[in-house]
Amino acid sequence: METEETGFAVAPRAIALGLLVAGLAAVPTARALEPFDPLEPVNRVVFGLNELVDVMLLGPVAEAYGELPSPVRTGVRNVLDNLSAPVTFVNDLLQGETDRAGTTFARFFINSTLGLFGLFDLAGELGHPAHKEDFGQTLAVWGVGEGPFLMLPLLGPSTLRDTAGLSVDQLLIDPWTAVAGDELRAARAGSEAVDTRHRLDPVIRDVRRNSLDPYATVRSAYVQRRAAEIRNRRPATGDPRYESIFREEEE
Amino acid sequence: MTARTERGGWAALARRRLAGFVVATVAVGLAGGGPARAEPSAPAARFVDGLGQKVLAVLRDGRLDRAARLERLARLIDEATDLALVARLVLGRYWREASEAQRRDFVALFRALILKTMAERLDEYGGETYEIVGVQPVDERDSIVSTRILRQGGTPIAVDWRVRAEGGRLLLIDIVAEGVSLVVTQRSEVAEIAGRSGIDGVLAEMRRRLDRPA
Repeated sequence: METEETGFAVAPRAIALGLLVAGLAAVPTARALEPFDPLEPVNRVVFGLNELVDVMLLGPVAEAYGELPSPVRTGVRNVLDNLSAPVTFVNDLLQGETDRAGTTFARFFINSTLGLFGLFDLAGELGHPAHKEDFGQTLAVWGVGEGPFLMLPLLGPSTLRDTAGLSVDQLLIDPWTAVAGDELRAARAGSEAVDTRHRLDPVIRDVRRNSLDPYATVRSAYVQRRAAEIRNRRPATGDPRYESIFREEEE
Repeated sequence: MTARTERGGWAALARRRLAGFVVATVAVGLAGGGPARAEPSAPAARFVDGLGQKVLAVLRDGRLDRAARLERLARLIDEATDLALVARLVLGRYWREASEAQRRDFVALFRALILKTMAERLDEYGGETYEIVGVQPVDERDSIVSTRILRQGGTPIAVDWRVRAEGGRLLLIDIVAEGVSLVVTQRSEVAEIAGRSGIDGVLAEMRRRLDRPA
């Protein structure tokens, strides 16, 4: 059933996504690192709802999860990271990063076998550290602008480009979408949400406590962080949007 | 700020503790073990390493009580950072509109909030170490020193320090944790509030934050 779903029903969606992606290329990009946020009023409402869900449900669950022994949590994280390897691999290739694709492939192979279905990050121990790529980053490498900032219900900060990328990853690239049933996919998404929320806890506390405007902080941090991921962590020197800030007192 | 369920910015931020106000990282993050791979040739790298060592010495000095420790860290920040410039860049285009009094208030509140954040973070230091991985000149004044904060059982955090040569000395003017810049992030927060309620609105919000118990 799942196979049918992904094999056929996806085709029209893929076409729609293709059009969306093509449209994205024409979208303006943020200037001077100020996020382009024409939907801010709606985004702020969604942010408020997400905060509510976080306080009522996700936060407490993540706190309980934090009580589990650390090796258990590491195992969960490792399995989740290993499951995301195919998406990273395909996007490495789409970005022309063949060396990184090789690393991703080797990691997946080693960790899925000797690492007991990804429970242990053996490849990491052997000196092949993990990295992640997704179709949003691939689109960026292809020159697609980030488009308007979006605050997605439950999923949190994104941009039009990254939302399109996420859909392509999930519907077209991720092999588990075709293989796994609804329950497994829900379990994976749930674990991912809880584990991510747990690891973000210090940051979230910090933002809630210290930010002058938490929504603006999250938006700015998301956009910057994505830019850094697209550069594959190289410093922002040379990014004219970043550099202009440090020259403006001369104006 | 609900977590994204799929890979992405937030997931990555987790390990790396973005630091809304990363200057606290001067106190907590940089404080670590030895300078593993400093490049002694570059003055900017030596400057960041020297700062890291001083911070480390303060954090590890068992004779200091909490208050003395905070006082010394505050002095280090004042000596090593061009806080007036950082504050001015954070206020961005509103700096030009601000009156003398507003500018003075903003710089003072900005410093006070950084020190408050640092005080709140002081107890989070958990034996992190650091290494300097490189230094890159930006222009005739600025360079970026790249470091890695190493934590036991955690992924290293990439932190870049932007250092400016001013009047024969070096001063810290931005900290970028995993691609997230202190100046850019706070500038965005300030612009948001200033756009709604002006510079006085920003100052009022800063005072509110300052008065709030930790």
